[in-house]
Amino acid sequence: MTPSFLLVLVPLLPLLAAIATVIGGRRLGARAHLPAVVGIAAAAVVALSLLVVTARSRGNAETPRPIDVVAPLWQWATVEDAYAPASDSHAAVPGTAVGEDAYSARPFSISIALRLDPLTATMLVIITSVGLLVAIYSIGYMHDDPGYPRFFALVAMFVFSMSMLVAASNFLLVYVFWEAVGACSYLLIGFWFQKPEAAKAAKKAFLVNRIGDFGLAVGVFLLWLTYGTLDFHDTFSPDGTILPGILGQTRLADVSGYVGGIVGTAICLLLLLAACGKSAQLPLHVWLPDAMEGPTPASALIHAATMVTAGVYLVARSAPLFMACPGALVTVSIIGTTTALVAALIGTVQNDLKRVLAYSTISQLGYMFACLGTGTLLGFTAAIFHLLTHAFFKALLFLGAGSVMHSMGGVIDMRRFGGLRKLMPITATTFLIGSLALAGIAPFAGFFSKDEILASLHSKGWPDVHHSAENEHHALIPDLPSTRSRSGAMHDVGYRGVSGDNDHSNSKKASALVGLDALNQPAVWKTLFWMALVTAGLTAFYTFRAVFMTFTGPLRIPDEAGDHAHESPSVMTTPLLILAIPATLIGFVLFTTEGLAHFLAATPSFTAPSIVETATASVFHWDLAIQGTLAAALGIVIAAVGHLGRRSDGPQLERWLGPIRPFLENRMFIDQLYAAVIVKPIEAVAFLAAIFDRSFIDRSVRFFAHLPLALGSVVRRLQSGVLQRYALAGVIGVLAIIVFLAWRL
Amino acid sequence: MTTLLLLGTSLALLQNGLVVGAILFSLGLVGILSRRNLIVMFLCAELMLQGISVSLVAWSRYHGDFGGHVLVIFVLSVAACEAAIALVFVLQAFTRTGRLDSSAWQSLRETTLDRSIDHEIPSLDTSMPSFPRLTPAGRSPDTDEQAGMQREHV
Amino acid sequence: MTLFVHLFAGTGTFEFLSPGILLAVAVTCLAASLYLLLPKSGRHGKTSRRVGWLIGLITLGLFIATGQRLGNLGDEAVFLIVSLVAVVSAVATITCRSPVYAAIWFALCLAGVSGVLLVLGAQFLGVATIVVYAGAILVMFLFVLMLAQPSGLTTSDRITNEPMLSAVAGGVLLGLLSLSIGRLSAEEPLCCRPPSKAAALGAATVEKIPTESVDLLTSDQVARLGGELFGRHLVAVEAVGILLLVALIGAIAIVSNGLEGSQVETSSLHEGSRS
Repeated sequence: MTPSFLLVLVPLLPLLAAIATVIGGRRLGARAHLPAVVGIAAAAVVALSLLVVTARSRGNAETPRPIDVVAPLWQWATVEDAYAPASDSHAAVPGTAVGEDAYSARPFSISIALRLDPLTATMLVIITSVGLLVAIYSIGYMHDDPGYPRFFALVAMFVFSMSMLVAASNFLLVYVFWEAVGACSYLLIGFWFQKPEAAKAAKKAFLVNRIGDFGLAVGVFLLWLTYGTLDFHDTFSPDGTILPGILGQTRLADVSGYVGGIVGTAICLLLLLAACGKSAQLPLHVWLPDAMEGPTPASALIHAATMVTAGVYLVARSAPLFMACPGALVTVSIIGTTTALVAALIGTVQNDLKRVLAYSTISQLGYMFACLGTGTLLGFTAAIFHLLTHAFFKALLFLGAGSVMHSMGGVIDMRRFGGLRKLMPITATTFLIGSLALAGIAPFAGFFSKDEILASLHSKGWPDVHHSAENEHHALIPDLPSTRSRSGAMHDVGYRGVSGDNDHSNSKKASALVGLDALNQPAVWKTLFWMALVTAGLTAFYTFRAVFMTFTGPLRIPDEAGDHAHESPSVMTTPLLILAIPATLIGFVLFTTEGLAHFLAATPSFTAPSIVETATASVFHWDLAIQGTLAAALGIVIAAVGHLGRRSDGPQLERWLGPIRPFLENRMFIDQLYAAVIVKPIEAVAFLAAIFDRSFIDRSVRFFAHLPLALGSVVRRLQSGVLQRYALAGVIGVLAIIVFLAWRL
Repeated sequence: MTTLLLLGTSLALLQNGLVVGAILFSLGLVGILSRRNLIVMFLCAELMLQGISVSLVAWSRYHGDFGGHVLVIFVLSVAACEAAIALVFVLQAFTRTGRLDSSAWQSLRETTLDRSIDHEIPSLDTSMPSFPRLTPAGRSPDTDEQAGMQREHV
Repeated sequence: MTLFVHLFAGTGTFEFLSPGILLAVAVTCLAASLYLLLPKSGRHGKTSRRVGWLIGLITLGLFIATGQRLGNLGDEAVFLIVSLVAVVSAVATITCRSPVYAAIWFALCLAGVSGVLLVLGAQFLGVATIVVYAGAILVMFLFVLMLAQPSGLTTSDRITNEPMLSAVAGGVLLGLLSLSIGRLSAEEPLCCRPPSKAAALGAATVEKIPTESVDLLTSDQVARLGGELFGRHLVAVEAVGILLLVALIGAIAIVSNGLEGSQVETSSLHEGSRS
């Protein structure tokens, strides 16, 4: 049982489960969940064992040694001599010269290869474990649904696609499964396709994701043009030379292995566009709130815990590329922080429980992007850390919301029910745990990850403070290949691309690029930090607003629930209880042992010299923790003032907002803006095109269709059915031929 | 007879024979294309065959070879076969339509077209055919004159 | 058309007319006369038929006048008479309204044809034509007519399909045939060119055919024809015998099967019958 074999098993088992469900789902009937649950459970066990294997192979060494196991399965396609860079490409794209041999003509080979490294192992565990709990939960939630087998087939298919996405060792393969998870998401959002809202939401999600996928496609093309390969890992050419992969050890070890400048920034921004689409960041966030039309377990799995984090994964995986482009990094942070703040603001006035959670998801994903953009090892690990904790507590919250919805007869409007804590104690308790984790209250999971995020932002905003703090702990990180001073490192990488350009037009663009790079100022970072801190407070507010409105105050039950309002069955509450454990403990455990940070540091992507040299000792920032907790506490207090107890049914708080309220309730009119700016013009063009199509193209086609008819109606008269006329025609023809030949002779 | 046959330039005889054959063939063709009575159409087909026979024999004479003669014998045989089968078909056609008119069969026409109908039919020649009259001699027979005149047209 | 055959070359009768024009006139006259003679709708009485006969006779006269001289007046007279009988009665066959008359004219035509055959030196065939056609086939036709049309002339006999086009087609055909016949010359007989080496190699049987001319006009001609028929062409004779047998059986089979379905008379087939 080699690691690579186990690695193949993780996606394979859900795939087999999906196929089995598709084939035998109808026959299994009410037991159609069995293949999916068993397959995902087995995959979860394998993923856990893989995590252990990876962690052991890291050993006890303090120095981050890259760990990766690549399992090449087969060659998908090979085109010989596809990559033949022009001779002056070195001048045009500086910093690409890893070795002259590497840039000779090479084949375009797409290898189906899976990789195992700490990042992949972590993601696999998240995907399969949350997937398993959601699948179990769905047994109760989805029972008696006519599409019961279809749901489980899709869930298993999604787990397969997502595992492949995080395990793929090739950008093209990543793209394939990027689309695959998008397809699964589309199918699950539109699961109840009879509902027009669901069908519309699915269409919207699909179309908005198209934009991001377009960015990924172009980004992949640019990557191929720039690096001549799409593999993450190093490969060997037939004559034994190493072809450095984009994230391979060879290129990572080379300080000038990554392209900066315009091309590098373009690649990074395109990848960021893809990530924005999938992870619902501004300005492509509009699909996620509508995606809540899907079944709640699917929302929990795909639109909260796993798929939407694919963007975070992609940026983290491409960290060395981003490190070469400081402008792109700042853009990541700015987008992330802005999204976090905007989504949190909108979330404060939503009355739909699932929408609150959806905006919360967008906001938390914005957090992750914010700290990814810091470009420090702390930032990257913090993002993955928050991804991990968020996956658990947000899945917990969603499943809790699903439980409420289940017992309320499908009603999810918080104004129509309240005081449910007596009615559904388990759901209330676990939901409260999840809310505490989300709000960032110690010692729940979210507190620690949010603290790290704030710390990473703070370290960029106030570099001097951290510089000194870091010096104290420098002894802990020996043998760093620190070749240049930290403060100048990133600018240096960025400017190499610019200085290599002698072309006039390029230098103009370069000046624009400097403008993007110029955002990399402590002042900007300070602003971002304060925005993040405000977001923390808002997060706590809307979370507890939801808790208070739903679970406190006098008991109110909507008519739809009837007499069936009750605590959910144990098959639904058990996953809630299980998820509550990591939501409570995982942050504390991983933070205090620093296990995750050290583990993730061994990911090849994070071992680039430019990242390693940003490593700092993890310290607990008391000041930041206090600030974060204060913000959260303030938010909770305001929520309590507005909604606790009897006031839970009154919109007193909203009244305070005054004119901002309709602005926020309408989601800042972003959907309307898109409708006016993008959809309406396209519709107008489509209308004109339709007129053109009907009046010109259709008519010309009909004309050509009528032409033979008209000709035929003339010639048809010859078909009189009188035999002798036919004979006469034949004789005339023969005579004509004879006359023609005689004339020729 | 023998003197006659021995005389004449061979080529001239051939050409004359071929011209006669060609005329017969062409007349048969005109008949088969225009006449509507099935029996007459077959007569015309036979006429064309006669033209062929004459041509074949002329060639045979010209080349001093029996091949043409043999071929004409075969043509005669095949014409006999053809006549037998064709007459059966004519009878079948007649039993189905009650007519010997080839234009009675128009099922092959386009569905949108009407049957082609003869709009203008020349009136029947009502004048009495003038049969030759023999000078009566001997005892007058007891035949019914009226019955004999029932068929105006033969 | 530059290779116009000298169909009427050497006749000397119509030197002032080029053979091509003569031929065109003859063909046009033939077509015109046939058109006039064919029964058709519209006004068409005895006058037009007489005009048709007149033009037809002029045409025949043209053909006779321009025909090859056989060298002997007696021969020419005999050939002329029998071929005139054949051609004129053939014209009558196709133009006669009554099918019965047409059949009788056809019998006369057969007599003429047998005369032509005799002139051409085919004694057996001349007799056989009379016996087989006039004696057997024609009688069969008359029987069928008697069975099918006991009431005599029907409307469809008084009218023809496309008389104009048919006559023109026939005339053009005759013109083309005459052209190619006129192209024949003694120096270069078309069919007696020595076969090329490749053709000879390709077909070994070609060499077996005796190329020397035999005199057909000996007294034992019928015996030699029989020898030829049952010698070289024995297989073909057997095949024709089988064909006759098959035709016999087939005719019987069709009659007996057809009688069962004889009641299938669709009204649509009758719809034009009374018009």
